[in-house]
Amino acid sequence: MSGALLTGRLIVVVGAGGVGKTTLAAALALGSAKEGRRTLVMTFDPSLRLKDALGVAEAAKDEPIRVMEDGPGFLDAALLDAKHTFDRLIRTYAPDPAAAKRIFSNRFYRDMAGNLSGILEYMAMERLFEMQASGRYDCIILDTPPTRQAMDFLQAPDRMMNLVDSKAIRFAMDPWWDDAGRKNLAFRIAVKGAMELSDRIIGRRFLLDVVEFIRAFAPLFDGFRSRAEEVRNLLQADETRFLLVAGPGPDRVPDAMFFLRKLKETGHHLGPILVNQVHPDPGPVAKNDEGLTLLRFLAGRDQRGLALLRSLFPGERKIIPIALEPVPPADLRTLALLFDKLSTTTSI
Amino acid sequence: MSVLDRIAERQLVVVTGKGGVGKTTLTAVLGRLLADRGKRVLLLEVDPRESLHQALGTEPSGGGIVQAGPGLSIQNLQPDAVIEGLVREKVPIPYLARKITESVAFHQFVEGAPGLKETALLGHAYRVLHGGHRPRTDLVIVDAPATGHSATMLAAPGLLAQAAEGGQLGAMASDLAAFLADASRCGVVLATLAEEMPIQETLELIALLRAKLGIRPDLIVANGMYPPLPPGAAQDPGRSLWRARRRLNEAELARLSASWDGSLLELPLLPLDRGPALVNALASLLKRAEP
Repeated sequence: MSGALLTGRLIVVVGAGGVGKTTLAAALALGSAKEGRRTLVMTFDPSLRLKDALGVAEAAKDEPIRVMEDGPGFLDAALLDAKHTFDRLIRTYAPDPAAAKRIFSNRFYRDMAGNLSGILEYMAMERLFEMQASGRYDCIILDTPPTRQAMDFLQAPDRMMNLVDSKAIRFAMDPWWDDAGRKNLAFRIAVKGAMELSDRIIGRRFLLDVVEFIRAFAPLFDGFRSRAEEVRNLLQADETRFLLVAGPGPDRVPDAMFFLRKLKETGHHLGPILVNQVHPDPGPVAKNDEGLTLLRFLAGRDQRGLALLRSLFPGERKIIPIALEPVPPADLRTLALLFDKLSTTTSI
Repeated sequence: MSVLDRIAERQLVVVTGKGGVGKTTLTAVLGRLLADRGKRVLLLEVDPRESLHQALGTEPSGGGIVQAGPGLSIQNLQPDAVIEGLVREKVPIPYLARKITESVAFHQFVEGAPGLKETALLGHAYRVLHGGHRPRTDLVIVDAPATGHSATMLAAPGLLAQAAEGGQLGAMASDLAAFLADASRCGVVLATLAEEMPIQETLELIALLRAKLGIRPDLIVANGMYPPLPPGAAQDPGRSLWRARRRLNEAELARLSASWDGSLLELPLLPLDRGPALVNALASLLKRAEP
C-alpha cells in the first residue's frame, strides 16, 4: 500500500535541486492513477526524456495532456511556464481587451515580467488554484520549481497580497507625474526630494515604465489578491501534504533541514521524508578492489546521512530511504516499477 | 595554451550549473589550483546557506572576507546587503540613507527590479577587481546561485542597463555588461554530472549563453564520474549498479560531446567527504586531467 505517500488531495513535492523530485513526482502520480484516482501532475520544464516518458509536449503549457487511463483512474500532466500563465491570466481577467493590450504593450511587462523574482512561483500557484478549482481531479501532485530557494513559492501568495496592498503601489497609483499640482504642498515637497533622488539613480524612463505597468495592471489587483488568499488557504489545508525529497549523505542534510524548518515555520503539513538515491551496500569487499571500496564508502556515507537525519528528528516522522536506481526511469513502465518499489518500501 | 592557463588569465570566472552538481566544490578546486599558480583569488558565494567554507576548511564568512590559504580567500555575499551598501554610498546623509533602506518601497524595488540583485553581486566583483582595493585581487570566481537558469545572472546587467537607461544605475549596469561581454577578461565554467537531466540543462545553457550573450564557456567539468570497471570484474549486485552507472555516465558524456567541441574535463567520485582533503585531491586530478 502506498497510503503514507499518497495521502491528501494535493501533494507538493519539495526539495533542493538535483535530488530527483520530478521523477518521484511522476512515479507517484502514475501510481495514484493506477490506484483509480483522477490524477494530475504539474511540473516545471522537466527534462526532455521525462517529457517523452509522460508523452507530453509544449501543448501541455496550455491544457493538461492525458498521459494514461486505467479504469476510473487517469493521469494528466501539465507543464508550468511563468510567462505563458501570466499572459493567459491577463487575457482572462483584464476588464476589456483594451486593458489587456495596454499591459501587453508595456515595455516593463514585455521585457521583465517573466524575470521578476517570485513571479514563477506565484504563477505556479495561480495555475494550481485553477486546476484545483476545476474539480476535475481527486489528486494533484505539484513538482516545485528547481531552485534552491524553492520555498519562495510558499510565500508567493503573501508576497502578492503585500505588493497589492503596499504603499509603493498606492504611491505609484497617485497621479504625481501628470497632475501633481492638485496634491498639497507638504506632500509635494516630500515626494519631490525622493523622486529626484530616484530619478537620478534609477532613470526617469524606467520609473515611467513601471508606473505605467502598475496602472495598467491595477484593475486586476483585486482578483489577484483574493486568489492569492485562496491559494494560501489551499496550501495550509488539512488535505494538502508536503513531501520532502532529500539527497543522500550528510552533506545534503542541511538542505533538508532548511526545508523542514521553513515548512514548520509556515505551518504546512509535512508528510514522510524521502531520502533519494541512497547507495546500497555492495557486500564484502576485497582489500585491493578500488571500485567496490568506493561503493562501500558511498553506501556508508549515505547511511551516515540517514542516521543524522533520524537523530535530528527522533521518532517524529517517517524517513524513507529510496535506493539509487542503476538506470533512472525513462518511460511509463519504469516509472510504474519505481512506484511499486516505493509502495513496498513504505509499507515496511 | 591549456584551458587552466586560459582561465588563469581571466579576471572574473562564473561557475554555474544545475543544483546539486558540485558547483561549490568545483569553485573551491579552481580557486585552489589558481592560487597555487600565484594568483590572488577571491571566491564569492551567493547562497545564504554557506558551504564554501566547509569545502576549504575555514570559518564561515558571514559576509566578511576569510583567508583560506596563501592567495585564496572566500566571501559570502548577500545582494540585499550589497545594495544597501550602495545606497549608503550614494546618499551621504546617514539619516536619509536609513530612511530609504528601511522603507517598504525600497524593498519592493529591490525585489522587483529586473536583474538588480544579480547586477549588484557582479558589480561587487567588479569593484573588488578595479576599485583600488588592497590587497589587490587578480581573479574573482563566483559560485553562481542555482536559481532558475544560470544565464539569468549573466544577462542581468544588460537587461538592467536597457531598462534603467539614462540614470546612474543604468550607466553602472551598462559598464558591467561591457565587462562581462569581454571574453578576454571574463569566463564561464559549467559544472555538470554525466546524468540525463544535468547534461540536458548543460546543453540548453550552452545554447542560451551563445544566443543571448555570445558567450562560449571556457570549460565544462563533469563531476562525480563512476570510475571505469576493471576488466573481468565479477557479477554481483554492487558491481552491476556500478556498471550501469558507469555506462550511463559514458552515454551522457557522449551526448554532450556530440554537440560540444570545447574543453571537457572529468572528475571522479572519490571516497572522501566534502572538505579540504577532497578539494586538494580533485585539484591535483584536474591538473593531471588537462591535455
